[in-house]
Amino acid sequence: MESTNFVLKFLEWLMSFEPKALILSASAIGAGFAMIAGIGPGIGQGYAAGKGAEAVSRNPKSQRETTMVMLLGAAVAETSGILALVVALIMLFGNPLVDLKGAALIIMASAIGAGLSMIAGIGPGVGQGYAAGKGTEAVGKRPKLQSQIVRTMLVGQAVAQTTGIYALVISLVLLFANPLIKL
Amino acid sequence: MGVDGFGPRVAFYIGNIAVTETVTVTWFIMFLLLVFSVAVTRNMKKEASGLQLVVEQIVGMINNLTKQNMGEKNIAFAPYVGTLLLLIGISNIIGLFGFRPPTADLNTTMCLSITTFVLTQFFGMKSKGLGGYGKGFLEPIPFLLPLNIIGELANPISLGFRLFGNITAGVIIMTLLYGALGAFTDTLLGLTVPLLQAGVPAVLHIYFDLFAGLLQSFIFTMLTMVFISGAME
Repeated sequence: MESTNFVLKFLEWLMSFEPKALILSASAIGAGFAMIAGIGPGIGQGYAAGKGAEAVSRNPKSQRETTMVMLLGAAVAETSGILALVVALIMLFGNPLVDLKGAALIIMASAIGAGLSMIAGIGPGVGQGYAAGKGTEAVGKRPKLQSQIVRTMLVGQAVAQTTGIYALVISLVLLFANPLIKL
Repeated sequence: MGVDGFGPRVAFYIGNIAVTETVTVTWFIMFLLLVFSVAVTRNMKKEASGLQLVVEQIVGMINNLTKQNMGEKNIAFAPYVGTLLLLIGISNIIGLFGFRPPTADLNTTMCLSITTFVLTQFFGMKSKGLGGYGKGFLEPIPFLLPLNIIGELANPISLGFRLFGNITAGVIIMTLLYGALGAFTDTLLGLTVPLLQAGVPAVLHIYFDLFAGLLQSFIFTMLTMVFISGAME
């Protein structure tokens, strides 16, 4: 009777490939996973754009200030998307895992994990976009306070980025200074 | 392109110590700032004109920024704030001139953030007294002590990595873009002149070097001020 333990069968099937092929395919999956983080900036910037349109419709005279704040906030909200892009590009063009010596399975899982970790970027993306939207709305109401509003918005957005930065740290550790291989 | 494809190149060796591009570019920036400071403050007149007027504007702006964020009584921090702003700002945009930004190296950014961390703790202790400083970690309930300590230690890490991550992202993307454009001009157009590299990257340079660079230097300085004045209250 054939074994029905599919996990075991899957692992056996995986081990029938060359280590290099395994690591490269895992990097491909990881790079794809990393880009899921793009959901966050997308939602956030969309919110900011919506708030911008709303603010201009209420107070057309402040269109210039409002648009400026909207673009500034949206550009900051883009950060987690860019960090995810960087991790994906490192895996595609400068993959440090290929030359590593060690259990192929661990290196492979690290590649996927490095990509998965970047998904955390959804949070900062949405949050920063929300802040950008609120900032835009506030400037639409009181264009004269633009510089104060922008300053507070930027500092708040920088703090909202923190979890995304931690995700980047873990991702870079998995890629460049993997502690699991030496265990 | 290997691991060191994106890292700073080693410029030269002193004995066994490798001196990287980060260090040499930092020296260059230090030299620029020093020469600039000496040149503009040598012949100061009561009636400001020309360059002196510009510098007075910058100093006034930094003083104002410090006053607004740290309060009138902490105006003594203005020189540190101004130095941070100028050093990080110039470091970030020096990529425009073909140098590798020193802030794209974790050593530089962590150094700066650890400086902020030490200042934060020192002035927290100084203004609240050792007892008050220690008590701050037991609030709102003593049970949260470990969380408060982790939270305090996480600040310099996120501060340093925020600057490093943003600038390195720009460096990596620009490196790859120049590589790709070079390959395009070679294979598609069959030219040996770097035609596509000349105009196409300009927009991305504006975003990654000018916008992100200046923004991140501003954010680092603002957060430093917020942390220090927060610890003192």
